[in-house]
Amino acid sequence: MGLSDRMKAMGLDDGWSPGAMARASRSDGADERPPEQAILAAAVAFARALREQGLSVSVDSELVFFSALAELNVREQSEVYWAAHATFVHTPTERPAFDSIFERFWAGDPLTVGKRGAEHGESDARMGGAQHGGEALPQFRHEGKAAAPTDGDRQHATRDIPSAEGDQGASNQKRGILAAWSERETESDKQRLQYDDDELAALRQLAEDIKRSAPERRSRRCRPARVGHRLDVRKTVRNSMATDGEAFRLAYTAQIPRPRRLLFLCDVSGSMERYSRVLLASLKAAVGAARRAEAFVFATRLTRLTHSLDGRDLERALEQARATIPDWSGGTRIGGALADFNRTYGRRGFARGAIVLVVSDGWDRGDPSKLADEVRRIQLQARRLVWINPRPLGLDQQPLAIGMRAAMPFVDDFIPGHDPRAVAGLARLIGDLGGQRPRRSPVRAAAPGG
Amino acid sequence: MPGFDSIEALRDAFTRQRYLMDEGLGTVVFLALKLRRPLLVEGEPGVGKTELAKALALATDAPLIRLQCYEGIDVHHALYDWDYPRQMLHLRAGGSVPLYSEEFLVRRPLLEALAHPGAVLLIDELDRADDEFEAFLLEFLSDFQVTIPEIGVVKAQEPPAVVITSNRTRDLHEALKRRCLYHWIDHPDLKREVAIARARLPGVGERLAHQVCAFVQDLRWLDLYRSPGVGETLDWAEAFHVLGRDHIDSATADRTLGTLLKERDDLERIRGAGLEALVERAEERATQFGRDGGNGGAV
Repeated sequence: MGLSDRMKAMGLDDGWSPGAMARASRSDGADERPPEQAILAAAVAFARALREQGLSVSVDSELVFFSALAELNVREQSEVYWAAHATFVHTPTERPAFDSIFERFWAGDPLTVGKRGAEHGESDARMGGAQHGGEALPQFRHEGKAAAPTDGDRQHATRDIPSAEGDQGASNQKRGILAAWSERETESDKQRLQYDDDELAALRQLAEDIKRSAPERRSRRCRPARVGHRLDVRKTVRNSMATDGEAFRLAYTAQIPRPRRLLFLCDVSGSMERYSRVLLASLKAAVGAARRAEAFVFATRLTRLTHSLDGRDLERALEQARATIPDWSGGTRIGGALADFNRTYGRRGFARGAIVLVVSDGWDRGDPSKLADEVRRIQLQARRLVWINPRPLGLDQQPLAIGMRAAMPFVDDFIPGHDPRAVAGLARLIGDLGGQRPRRSPVRAAAPGG
Repeated sequence: MPGFDSIEALRDAFTRQRYLMDEGLGTVVFLALKLRRPLLVEGEPGVGKTELAKALALATDAPLIRLQCYEGIDVHHALYDWDYPRQMLHLRAGGSVPLYSEEFLVRRPLLEALAHPGAVLLIDELDRADDEFEAFLLEFLSDFQVTIPEIGVVKAQEPPAVVITSNRTRDLHEALKRRCLYHWIDHPDLKREVAIARARLPGVGERLAHQVCAFVQDLRWLDLYRSPGVGETLDWAEAFHVLGRDHIDSATADRTLGTLLKERDDLERIRGAGLEALVERAEERATQFGRDGGNGGAV
């Protein structure tokens, strides 16, 4: 076979195994296998190690990698690296995990370091968050610049707010920015949100209703229709073949309606936690039903949830969601979190044409003008921006609701979450939103008071 | 299609087409041609994904067939259609040629690609098409043959070289990704970007090219909403050139910044942060870069 010959030509008939390249001088002849098999064995072991790291490696990819090696100089690290990268890596987020395995593969180190420590969801490479430990792994990049802004984990490292001193003390359970805001936090503790049962029931009902009233948009795909605006030329020609070219029977097509994307951005900081949890728990059904739904939760960071929410087992799904949220009840930086959303997902069109539901009390500890900017950016892309706020008090009486006030001009519908009737009306509103564009004033330059 | 004996030969051929690729991309393109696998390239806007296919066509002296994807694209836009007006006329004139024969077949890009041995097929922005089209494409890419019910099976004598680009507005199917070799194109480092600018814009002086690239490299470190790509770098360098400047100055930079940054927020941020300082820094780095002969270019 071609590979054997090439190997011989390269003087590699002493076998090729992980590490052989690094220690090219080694010639103890311990490996008696023909080179082709040595390579195959090494490639298979490498693929298995990648699989254990959570990369989806198919047998097909292994075969491609193997045949790729036959075309390359297997002594050349960069060629082997890029061949393996092209066949095994399918998304930029997999790269750190891949790089670390490849490094071991090339150096001839043991490929498996025990089971992957995914029990706590800490180092699972499949998870988009920054918590998979990818940062610490060697990067195969030209520049030290944080990985190209491709996915959710770009800025998390920098967005993370360092814990204040005295963090380990049991007396101070507050983490991150909360510690700095402890005075205010006490205040909010006093006003901790209380949810009535009927409030939460309304929330559950909402998810149920959303499932039924899934808003639609007209797609560009067509199906045959008895009446319609578009002539189905193909079919009309076919019909007229029976009538010597006279088009007596016209055929029409109509556009197929598709579910419109629903985008949930849920605040899970502090007292919003329980509210969002009930909503997310109920949403699981809605997300499962309406395929085109995405959920994100945020406090100081943004975490994408849809993947962990669409599992079967609700509790397990929530557990997973919680594991991916580093700050399940930490402080709030809505502006920062929404900026994260805009930069990593918004640019990729997640909000485009979607109905966006923000669930938050709007108690922002960041810069209100930044929050306003980011909300405006989402609104410009979204079909409709709906904000559900469960705080019963008037906004003016909440000193911390400055963020909410800043965001208000860019919110299409504001739903007071403590009012079960308003929440019940929301599903109807969402259902109606499919076709129509909301009436908005055309230009909103900047945030008032920003 | 002329094959390439080595990765170096391939990179040289691309360089002659003024497309400068790094080692990684060179290896992957080489493999895609050798293994006859489609190549899926992703990357930020403006890193040269589409250009790659164009350069590949030029380098292999093959026709480039481009399929731009959009929502709702279907078989009749991508593969084939029938020339209905002609069919109608033919029918009414009492013609004898069968209506569904090659005579009335309209070849769309995919069919076209099967007909030209060794063509380069660019499937641009596949993420814009929907799931159904992707599934159809998967079939096409596995066998490089299609079935037209009225005519029969059409098979490529020699499968085309396929380049698929995606902007990641949605995740492509795992099955499709498995069919392809994958590559993520990064923004080039300073050295490469200067080389690209010099190759693409022969009229632009060395000093200006260095400064513009140094400036853009700095911008990419700032957390902008939309980082400028290589395309924007070239536009900006050309803007200076057209205005008769052989180096960057903050007044001209301010006036032409719109060729580089396309977001109001980004523009305001850069102007607010002080354009003079950035220009100064770029000048410094460019001078240093010139001194080092490009060896200190990679940050």
